[in-house]
Amino acid sequence: MKKGFSLLKYSLPLLGAAFLSATLFAAEETAPGVKGASEEEFTPAKEVLTVKYVQLDKPYHMDVESLRGAFKDANPVKVTLQKQDKAFPNGGGSVTGAEVKAIHDGITIYFQITWSDPTKNARSIAVQEFRDAVALMFPLGAVEITPAEHFSPRMGDREKPTNLWHWKADWEADLLVKGELEDVEVQYPNMHDDFNFNPYSVYYHRELITSVEVLSGGRAANNLLSQPGRGRTVEDLNAEGFGTLTTQDHQDVNGCSHYEDGVWTVIMYRSLITQDPHDVQFVPGGNAFFNMAVWNGGEQDRNGQKNISTQWHPATLEKVAWQ
Amino acid sequence: MTLVHNWHLGRRMEYPYFESRPKRQFAAIFNINRCIACQTCTMACKSAWTYNKGQEHMWWNNVETKPYGGYPQSWDVKTLKLIDNGENTWYTSEKDEKLSPYGVYEGDTIFEAAAKKNINQWAVGYIPEDKEWRSPNFGEDVAKSNKPDEYSSLPEHSRWFFYIQRLCNHCTYPGCLAACPRKAIYKRKEDGIVLIDQKRCRGYRKCVEQCPYKKPMFRGLTRVSEKCIACYPRIEGRDPLTKGRPMETRCMAACVGQIRLQGFLDDNPKNPVTWLIRHDKLALPLYPQFGTEPNIYYIPPRWAPRSYLRQMFGPGVDEAIDKFMVPSRERLAVMSLFRMTQTIVFEYKIEEGPKVFETEIHGKKFEMFNDTIIGYGEDGQEVVRTCVEEPIHVRDPKHYNSI
Repeated sequence: MKKGFSLLKYSLPLLGAAFLSATLFAAEETAPGVKGASEEEFTPAKEVLTVKYVQLDKPYHMDVESLRGAFKDANPVKVTLQKQDKAFPNGGGSVTGAEVKAIHDGITIYFQITWSDPTKNARSIAVQEFRDAVALMFPLGAVEITPAEHFSPRMGDREKPTNLWHWKADWEADLLVKGELEDVEVQYPNMHDDFNFNPYSVYYHRELITSVEVLSGGRAANNLLSQPGRGRTVEDLNAEGFGTLTTQDHQDVNGCSHYEDGVWTVIMYRSLITQDPHDVQFVPGGNAFFNMAVWNGGEQDRNGQKNISTQWHPATLEKVAWQ
Repeated sequence: MTLVHNWHLGRRMEYPYFESRPKRQFAAIFNINRCIACQTCTMACKSAWTYNKGQEHMWWNNVETKPYGGYPQSWDVKTLKLIDNGENTWYTSEKDEKLSPYGVYEGDTIFEAAAKKNINQWAVGYIPEDKEWRSPNFGEDVAKSNKPDEYSSLPEHSRWFFYIQRLCNHCTYPGCLAACPRKAIYKRKEDGIVLIDQKRCRGYRKCVEQCPYKKPMFRGLTRVSEKCIACYPRIEGRDPLTKGRPMETRCMAACVGQIRLQGFLDDNPKNPVTWLIRHDKLALPLYPQFGTEPNIYYIPPRWAPRSYLRQMFGPGVDEAIDKFMVPSRERLAVMSLFRMTQTIVFEYKIEEGPKVFETEIHGKKFEMFNDTIIGYGEDGQEVVRTCVEEPIHVRDPKHYNSI
């Protein structure tokens, strides 16, 4: 009787502790606004993307139509996408899947991604407009990704960097205009500004106008997003976890795209091997992993508000024919 | 989320980063009673920083008419709705000079409202569309008529409007800084100025969305966001005019109506800005209920409806207006410092003068003394000396009509 009584005295706090640990486990915020990762996230997806070896006549114009034939024998991998709800700000959810195909010709690797998007958003000049975009992420270096060897599929992690290729629809539109950066007039045709750039005007003040770079904000700070004349539509970046995304000093990736009937087709391509130590390297006959995200500008997707895949996807590169 | 103390709200609140106050905080006081909406401050800022391409819609400093104006349009109404601020409840029975001088705010801040609504971002907010940034002076001089047939008289005019001059508040707990997912916005330790790193920004516009005052602005040309920089080169003393001493910002220095005094909020009760805000409590924060602890303070207009003013400046309004209407000797002297110099005054001293005037204002006795007030710069040197009464010079009859 006495033993039972003394145990009873502890039952309520024990119950409380059990409840508390249950709630803590369920909430599992590893940092403010960041949800803890589940085992499923650390397990790579089952379907392997085979990067087919193709003997390619590199077309004069790198565009989706010219390259279409090259992808015909490549097996597509369907990637399921979901709303990003791992870290603030949460968002996305409008794009539920994408199809990925890949080929290489021993020199260049090409990834083709297609997904459905009812609206084409290829401009991000008005404050309320956001761009359509897609990104591929690769772990940097040769890594083992298994449930035992954790490698975060979410923007990498500290000491576990990733290389990202981020294609943007408005970078595509920028290439088509003079100066290779869509200017304010493209969105607001009659916009007037107080600054007269015309060097032949009576009001031209050389000293003042050549100092204008100081007041060009992002352009003066060498932010790649603000630069005219980038010459490419894909940004090469690295990341080591949420909020650490950094543009590389040396850009290596390029891409092309096509939008028709509510479907985006984007091809991103790069040399298999680059000199940049911050780039992922591909070896024919070797393995790789990729993850991806899609942004639907029409839904104000940007940054963490995106459609993500929560697992790494394995890929294998076919050997070159003469190996 | 960590708990930080917000002295405007008189309580602790949640914020994503630890409390870390700068050594001295960039702050200013605006006397709404004296603003004539000449917009010289607006133009001073525009011609210094935002005259360039992509910045056409940007007015880092703007002057809007209340109640109908707003830049961007209806910004305060929209943000107040997001924190369900029909109530704006304050517990004012107990106040603490240092920790809760206005009482305790019992509603939600923008951070608490976001957590309650489970919107999975740091603060509530909205992105004003491009059309809302047009017509920055829409509603200028449009009065609200409460009783159109009555004469206007104090304490509340039956037809009223007033001007509110706004710039980035360089808040202690900025909504923009909390919102940025990349930490591209930072607050300087030396003066509390909040800046957007132009290299780090990627144009996500979460700052534009979550600043309750809507002062970060997206620049379409560069695809990144910009905001008021508090003319930091002047604050750092790099303008040759003040010979290395910190200088007030363009918008403060340009004020024609002499309504602005800019300096630093620090621990020195003899610092005019600190004295007027923390000790005299004449100047009040703008919409303290947002919870960001803004650092631009206002002396409320004495003719506007008190309920409207209480929503805008908190419960300290009645006390502040009483103090402004019948100023004490020290208050009148400190207010004489406004716009007497471009150099930032760090300390003041009053030399007493003779009594020159006496009257009764709204039943209260008012005495005016022609005191001399001296302002000292950062290095302790005298930078300005002025009197309460404007000195009168009578021109020689020979030069009666000369300039």
